[in-house]
Amino acid sequence: MADKQLTVGNTFTAGIWSENPVLRLLLGMCPTLAVTTGTKAALTMGLSVIFVLICSNLVVSLMRNLLKPHLRIMMFTLTIAAFVTIADLFLKAYLPEMSAKLGPYIPLIIVNCIIICRAEACASKNGPWISVIDGLAYGIGFTVVLCILASIREVLSTGRIFETVQVMPGGFVPWAGMAMPVGAFVTLGLMLGLVNLATKKKA
Amino acid sequence: MSSKIALFFRESWLLMVSSVFFGGLLAVTNTAWAPKIAQNEINKFNNLARLLLPAAEKFEPLQDNITLELQGGKSVMDFGGGKSIRADVRKGLDASGNCVGWAFVCEGSGFADKIKLVVAADAQFKTLLGFGVLSSNETPGFGDKINIKDGFYQAQFKGVPAAPLTLAKFGDDKKIDSEIIAITGATVTSQSVINILNQFVEPIQKQLTEKNLINP
Repeated sequence: MADKQLTVGNTFTAGIWSENPVLRLLLGMCPTLAVTTGTKAALTMGLSVIFVLICSNLVVSLMRNLLKPHLRIMMFTLTIAAFVTIADLFLKAYLPEMSAKLGPYIPLIIVNCIIICRAEACASKNGPWISVIDGLAYGIGFTVVLCILASIREVLSTGRIFETVQVMPGGFVPWAGMAMPVGAFVTLGLMLGLVNLATKKKA
Repeated sequence: MSSKIALFFRESWLLMVSSVFFGGLLAVTNTAWAPKIAQNEINKFNNLARLLLPAAEKFEPLQDNITLELQGGKSVMDFGGGKSIRADVRKGLDASGNCVGWAFVCEGSGFADKIKLVVAADAQFKTLLGFGVLSSNETPGFGDKINIKDGFYQAQFKGVPAAPLTLAKFGDDKKIDSEIIAITGATVTSQSVINILNQFVEPIQKQLTEKNLINP
């Protein structure tokens, strides 16, 4: 990515597939494993990350020429923390049940490697437009994987999706393990294996 | 000296300006949404308390302080021994302003995280009318069964005496007495709920009686 000319097209392709933060870079593992018990929670986490990624990338990009090398990590953290706090307050005000369900994982976006990675790798070196697109692309890449993982776990652990839509037949016995951490590790492992298989990448 | 000050400002002005800007942004956001967040918390308490105390039209916070001295944990549960907290006790009032019961928030350590409950008691504070879970993060499929409204575990607390409760692994869960039957596979969570109630119920009852707030 670093050697290529950044365009909207290849930024999107990188964020969603070739440099997908979860499946290819293995970044943001903490929320990936922790909040994927339900699709609603995963979607909320994904949208919060998209918001923070876009806003922090935009601000970092605008101040990139003013950044002092020894202060840049502090500036990134300050920027990210401000937008994460706004996202957290928004959820507490307008989606209180989801905020309670996600618990500490929304404030923990501050230390999510994806966001600081994009601030350092893209926003601090590129203009606002491409930085916003980069934030959107990597955010969508993260959200899509979270939602796929969460929907597999939710369907197998409850028989439903989005908490209300019944997917599995009446006689289905829920797999309690899929709602526990073991379910997250197994499902993510299988997804990583499938992606590696599909891209003929050797483990 | 002046050159050092100049260097300091030259190196850090962006950080200072950004701190002021983001601080202001957060202050504005917080001011705008704080009332809604506070109202959400009140609504959550009221919704849970109304399920337990349907006769109550509103829940009025007490003017008198009910302060609890928390005891140290004796087993795996740790309540933060020696801490003193102000209990959030509210009087349930019917349409004509008569006290129909009490509702209060209590919390303590669960298996995985803190468990926060709303507990209701009758007007004389002699019988508990049940509990609802404000927040918990117990094991899915096991400990989280304490959240099931009218599930077998919650149902056992409807009508129990407002006195110390004990946990049993086996027994008749339909029998309403001070012995609570544990959730299979979630003994620690089951015990945590009982410990939390034991920690809060008697001291609140005692202080309400001392302050003559309970109608005889």
